[in-house]
Amino acid sequence: MVDEATRRVVSEIPLLKTLASPRDKEVWVQRLKEEYQALIKYVENNKNADNDWFRLESNKEGTRWFGKCWYIHDLLRYEFDVEFDIPVTYPSTAPEIAIPELDGKTAKMYRGGKICLTEHFKPLWARNVPKFGLAHLMALGLGPWLAVEIPDLISKGLVEHKSK
Amino acid sequence: MSADWEEIRRLAADFQRAQLSDTVQRLSERNCIEIVAKLIAEKQLDVVHTLDGKEYVTPSQITKEIKDELQIRGGRVNIVELQQVINVDLTHIESRANDLVKLDKDIQLVLGQLVDGNYLDQIAEEVNDKLQAAGQVTISELCKTYDLPGDFLKESFSLRLGRIIQGKIDESNRGVFYTEAFVAQHRARIRGLFTAITKPTPVSNMISIYGFQEHLLYSLLEELVNCGRLKGTVVGGRQDKAVFMPDIYAKTQSNWIDAFFKQNCYLEFDSLSRLGIPDPVGYIKKRYKSTHMLYLKSACIGQGIVDHVEASVEEAISSGSWLDIMPLLPSCLSQEDAGILLQQVIRTLNNSSSARVFGDTIVVSEKFISECANLFNKLMHHKAEKEMKSSPVFIVTEEDLKQAAILENEVLSKKDKKEERRKKATEGSGSTRTGGCGNAREIKIKKSKKKARKDEDDDESQTSYPGKPKEREAAFMSLEEIQDVLRKHAPDSPDELVIELSENLIRPLTKSYQEVVRSVFLSSTSSSSGASRKQTMKDFQEEVTSLYNNIRLFERGIKFFTDETQNNLAKHLLKTICTDITNIIFNFLAADFMMAAEDYTTITSEVRKKMLSKLQEEAKGPLTKLHSSLSGKSIEEFSSYVDSAADACGILMKKGDKKKERQIMFQHRHALIEQLKVTEDPALVLHLTSVLMFQLTTHCMLHAPGRCVPQIIAFLHTKIPEDQHKLLVNYQTLVVKQLIGNTKQKDEEDVDTMEDTQEGTEKGTDNIRKELQEMSPVIKDLVLRSRKSSMNDE
Repeated sequence: MVDEATRRVVSEIPLLKTLASPRDKEVWVQRLKEEYQALIKYVENNKNADNDWFRLESNKEGTRWFGKCWYIHDLLRYEFDVEFDIPVTYPSTAPEIAIPELDGKTAKMYRGGKICLTEHFKPLWARNVPKFGLAHLMALGLGPWLAVEIPDLISKGLVEHKSK
Repeated sequence: MSADWEEIRRLAADFQRAQLSDTVQRLSERNCIEIVAKLIAEKQLDVVHTLDGKEYVTPSQITKEIKDELQIRGGRVNIVELQQVINVDLTHIESRANDLVKLDKDIQLVLGQLVDGNYLDQIAEEVNDKLQAAGQVTISELCKTYDLPGDFLKESFSLRLGRIIQGKIDESNRGVFYTEAFVAQHRARIRGLFTAITKPTPVSNMISIYGFQEHLLYSLLEELVNCGRLKGTVVGGRQDKAVFMPDIYAKTQSNWIDAFFKQNCYLEFDSLSRLGIPDPVGYIKKRYKSTHMLYLKSACIGQGIVDHVEASVEEAISSGSWLDIMPLLPSCLSQEDAGILLQQVIRTLNNSSSARVFGDTIVVSEKFISECANLFNKLMHHKAEKEMKSSPVFIVTEEDLKQAAILENEVLSKKDKKEERRKKATEGSGSTRTGGCGNAREIKIKKSKKKARKDEDDDESQTSYPGKPKEREAAFMSLEEIQDVLRKHAPDSPDELVIELSENLIRPLTKSYQEVVRSVFLSSTSSSSGASRKQTMKDFQEEVTSLYNNIRLFERGIKFFTDETQNNLAKHLLKTICTDITNIIFNFLAADFMMAAEDYTTITSEVRKKMLSKLQEEAKGPLTKLHSSLSGKSIEEFSSYVDSAADACGILMKKGDKKKERQIMFQHRHALIEQLKVTEDPALVLHLTSVLMFQLTTHCMLHAPGRCVPQIIAFLHTKIPEDQHKLLVNYQTLVVKQLIGNTKQKDEEDVDTMEDTQEGTEKGTDNIRKELQEMSPVIKDLVLRSRKSSMNDE
């Protein structure tokens, strides 16, 4: 399903408790708090493990998230913009992460640059509602996708380092 | 609500801050090691990793740590131990240590250990303490204590000598340190001890008894001897066998030797070595360089003794006597030495021809020897004459030959005294006996005796010994007898002299004795020669002639018989009378060469052969033929040779005339009859009767052996009356029976058969004997009667 390293990383992310969507005004705040705490913990963990790989920030309401993610391949850092919205059905439905730059470059992507997650992701997420949050999404979704797709794309010449 | 949002904002800010904070730059251990290895390979970094691989250390840190460790451990540290402490590879430590030693003069690397000056100072102090306490310290001991090489210690201590170590080092042997006090004490002890010594003393003994330091002792001793404090010398260098020889002893010694030599004029090597002189000969040679010394085996003697001996010997020679030099010499001189001395003296006297040395030490003048020899002259003549009278001069008997051989042997085996003595013993009363024979004979006898292995040699020497090998050897006296005579002559002479003198004399004496004997013999024969010689010649001639005539007559008789009998008779004749005549001729000729036998009948064919070999050429040929014809068959052949042999002898053979022949025949018959008359033996009676009958009938003489009697009787069958012949035949059968009976009886006695048969035969023989006794006079009568008749005929 997922590799051992990922599982360990995920296990270190605090689980969330609150089941709330952005529409549930007060409870969403609670959820958002938990989301932030989980994300902070995850980033700290990553930094400690010398595995920092993204920057993320949200709008004021915490419904729209955007930032950057990067991948180091052959001693070169490939950096991409990343964005996603919190669906109203959240957390039952996982947000769809998009990397617009790569739109049309790979088959594992929907229109608009939304990445195609593995078939395991959805049931895993569904099983863990409402315990999984955005931090888990990043760790289980985008991280593995980048690790698989970017080297492939680079080898195909579809992605080039910016210095070139 | 707003508070919540506030909190959210704060969390968002926290999140941003968390995201923007520095990431910890982490390298994995693996990468790190690789990076460092790369850096070291590119020489951008100079570090050394520890043995457990956990740390990197810079070289300067190693140096520092080494120094620290050295400090902590009191100035001495083993590099191997350093390696354990610093925990880097040994090669790095070694290289750093070497650098350190190069940089810092105070630090030294010894046997894989770093040692600094402080440590050396410290041990030097320790050594000093020890030295002050004990008085001396050896480097080797220190080596053991501190486990450092001696050279290093010696060097480092030499630097500190006088600064830290209060003492001095032995100059000749740099392995020991002494304190001055110790040396002084030693010097004092040595001085005292060696001053007190009065006899040669091995230095090693002193060392073991008084516990001196060997090297110190030698150097101090040398010093003391050199500066004259000790009077003496050290002999034998600095080894175990070194001996201290005090001057006072050497002086006493040489004084004693001088005194002894001055007094006695000789020095015995033994006594010198007893005095402690290791090489007496060398010592004497060195000491008496100018004096002339004679070196013998066990002693050397001065000119004084030599002169004395010389004078005595000279006197003995000139006075014609003998001298034993032993009494003149110091008693310590051995027989051998005396011999050497005597030879020396005689050589210097230079008249060795006038003296001889007997038994090593006795000098005898030739004059004395000849005097002794003269003693025997009278005896010799006396004996020779007695010999001539008492016994026939040269009887060739085995006894005499043996005697002669033994005597001969004795003379030759002079050197082998033992054998000689043994023989003397066996000889015992070996009295004066005359021996005479040829050499060849002698050797044969000796060989047959097989006395001793020695004989082989003796034989050889003997055969080559006499100048004229045909000469006869006549022994004069045995050694003992000669010795007895000599002893009587010079009663005070020692046994050795007598023995050697007798051995020396026996040969010439024997020789001269032979001459004397010969001269005596010749004189006796020559005195009886002249008339008597002629007489003998005539006798000889007559004898030969008569025998010769007999042979001719017998020969005639033989011719009456047929082949077989004739042969037998001829052989018998050759064996008897012919041999006699040959012997007479040989003996006659041999008499000229003094080898005649008294009785010619004893001469055998071997003796004849020997005589032949000595005869002169002209006589040899005919006589050889004569000799060989004896073993032939023909009488004619023999008689022809007798003629020629007689010619060679210079005698005339007279052919007998009829008258003489008749005379001989008569004489022969007469002799036979006389014999017949007295005889009782039936066989002989038969023999004589038959021979006489033959002569009577044929008028020829017959010389026949007993076994030819039957043939003669058979021959007579036709010549005599029937009854006479029958009588003879009967008698013959009886004789034969008796002879057979006798032999049978003998056989039976041997076999031991049945009693009665023996008795029977005994009876038979008795009967035959009786019959024979009865018949004998009848048979005798036969001839005696016929003689009468024949006499009547005549």
